Amino acid sequence: MRNRTSTLAVLLEAALVVAAGVGFAFAANALSPRGLKLGRNYFPGAPVSSNAPARVSTPPARSPSSTNEDSADAQTIARLKEKGLQPLSRARTEELFHDPRYEQGLVVFVDARDEDQYAESHIPGAFELDPFHPEKQLATVLTPCQNADQVVVYCMGGDCEDADSAAILLREAGVSNQRLFVFAGGFTDWTGHRLPVEAGARNSGAAPVERK
Amino acid sequence: MKIWNSKTIDFGALAARWFLGGLFIYTGLEKGLDPVSFLKLVRQYDMLHVPFLLNSVAAALPWFEVFCGALFLAGIAVRGAALTLTCILIPFTAVVWHRALVLQAARAIPFCAVKFDCGCGTGEVFICSKLLENAGLILLALWLLSGRGRWLALRYSLTGKNECPAGPSPTNWSHSTVEKT
Repeated sequence: MRNRTSTLAVLLEAALVVAAGVGFAFAANALSPRGLKLGRNYFPGAPVSSNAPARVSTPPARSPSSTNEDSADAQTIARLKEKGLQPLSRARTEELFHDPRYEQGLVVFVDARDEDQYAESHIPGAFELDPFHPEKQLATVLTPCQNADQVVVYCMGGDCEDADSAAILLREAGVSNQRLFVFAGGFTDWTGHRLPVEAGARNSGAAPVERK
Repeated sequence: MKIWNSKTIDFGALAARWFLGGLFIYTGLEKGLDPVSFLKLVRQYDMLHVPFLLNSVAAALPWFEVFCGALFLAGIAVRGAALTLTCILIPFTAVVWHRALVLQAARAIPFCAVKFDCGCGTGEVFICSKLLENAGLILLALWLLSGRGRWLALRYSLTGKNECPAGPSPTNWSHSTVEKT
């Protein structure tokens, strides 16, 4: 009889712990500046619909090829295509980076990694858009993206899907899917080929701090 | 000769309670302070497809761990917290095991060579050491569930009397007297 009472007491105590713990946990998440928004879909992946927003600016002088993905693996490309996104090879990304239209704002690069990674180093001139906290930067990034002929979004590459999410976010905000490209190899591929990077704020020109 | 006297066991239980408390607070904070990374790791298990459920687990689980860890450290509702953590650890270990089997098949490598970030708050780990670690944690939690770890407990039980003295010098106190409650 005593054992049964003791078991019931422990079960009751566990139920109290669960109830209080769940309350504490959701309250902590709500109060945390990095807390998650429970109702939001952080991994949008629905295929693009055929009635995507039509482009309004002049057509690009040269449409980047979405083939010849020299450095991205087939799985990444398949994933991007499944989401209705256009993968971009490193060679084509590099060409767009050196394209005179980049200086004119007709080619835009968007970095979809987090704040710390962006501050550490990013492709020079790239805008910052963390898809998990878009409220911070979306308003700033959207207009340049809407005015550009081509928008190249990147994260770390490979399994990283943050660029997918950022591209879908831009697509849903009104940027034409035809102008949106995801650099499949990502920042890992970019730095792996010793291509230019900058640290700190956009267009700061600051050299990244060497890691020992 | 009696090797394990009551005092030694009680000190061991106190150490186990504080160890579990500290560990769960540490791993919980690691995840809770970077919920986006934890969200991505939870998603890799491919078990929750409704965004609200996925977000809820990723948002709440780390702080829930911190809460249970704090209960262990302070010695509040110890058996309730131990039962709760056991009920979390057992299915979580099974899920990690299953994920390791999937990765093993995909990579065609020996089971113990599988290494991945299981979302445990300690980064990438080899699966065999992770399973052993979890087995150890479950055993410690079960030990505390059996009624050990009363020393320096603020409120050992929420539902019964709390005879626990304030310090580890229970000259006239034993488990048998507590169990009579």
